[in-house]
Amino acid sequence: MPLLATKYFGTMPYESTDVFHFPEGLPAFDRENSFVLIDMPAIRPLVFLQSATRADLCFIAIPVLVIDPEYELSVSIEDLCSLKMAPGRQPRIGSEILALALLSIQEGLPATANLMAPIAVNLDNRMAVQAIRCDFKYSHRRAVPGLAREEAC
Amino acid sequence: MLVLRRRAGESLLIGDQIEIEFLEVSSQAVKIGIKAPKQVSILRKELHLTQSENRAAAREVDLERLKNSLENFHISSSFPQVSR
Repeated sequence: MPLLATKYFGTMPYESTDVFHFPEGLPAFDRENSFVLIDMPAIRPLVFLQSATRADLCFIAIPVLVIDPEYELSVSIEDLCSLKMAPGRQPRIGSEILALALLSIQEGLPATANLMAPIAVNLDNRMAVQAIRCDFKYSHRRAVPGLAREEAC
Repeated sequence: MLVLRRRAGESLLIGDQIEIEFLEVSSQAVKIGIKAPKQVSILRKELHLTQSENRAAAREVDLERLKNSLENFHISSSFPQVSR
């Protein structure tokens, strides 16, 4: 099994099925084309997206449906093309697409999830994009109450 | 916010170096052309927001504290299968 240098867990083995391919990279990280999903029971519903090439780059993410069970995707035609999916209809979260929101966690502030630009992974082929919406229907900083915030004394 | 009404083919100036021309207007979208000096960054707003959120999301996180907070975190009943 191949080994991966990670930001939080040292070196660990991974399955090739857990590698997601981002042909366009991610905004601000345009050259990072390959991320590995690290899914640990102890930290669910959170997951990690660890860069396959940069050990110091790891995102923490959460399935969008955990934040908003009614969440509706709006993936552009260009992004559907990157995912190698047919344009014309929106793919289904769960059966066709893994949809994750990246979390921003800062000391002393409630965690926020970027629902404006979910990570969309085609479950058939592991092609992935950050599917930026342009309708501003969902916030890029949706508060995630209770996460990563110390209890008040 | 300054609000102006313009028609297709018209344009406006921002300062003396930036010109925005309204090329096509429909009920759903406008197509604009922008003339600006090379050093002026022009980005779709949602892309700019995503870049700055991604930089924030890439920061180091205290995992132990995060794990502890998960105990109190309300998990939606519709938690989906994450992979496979």
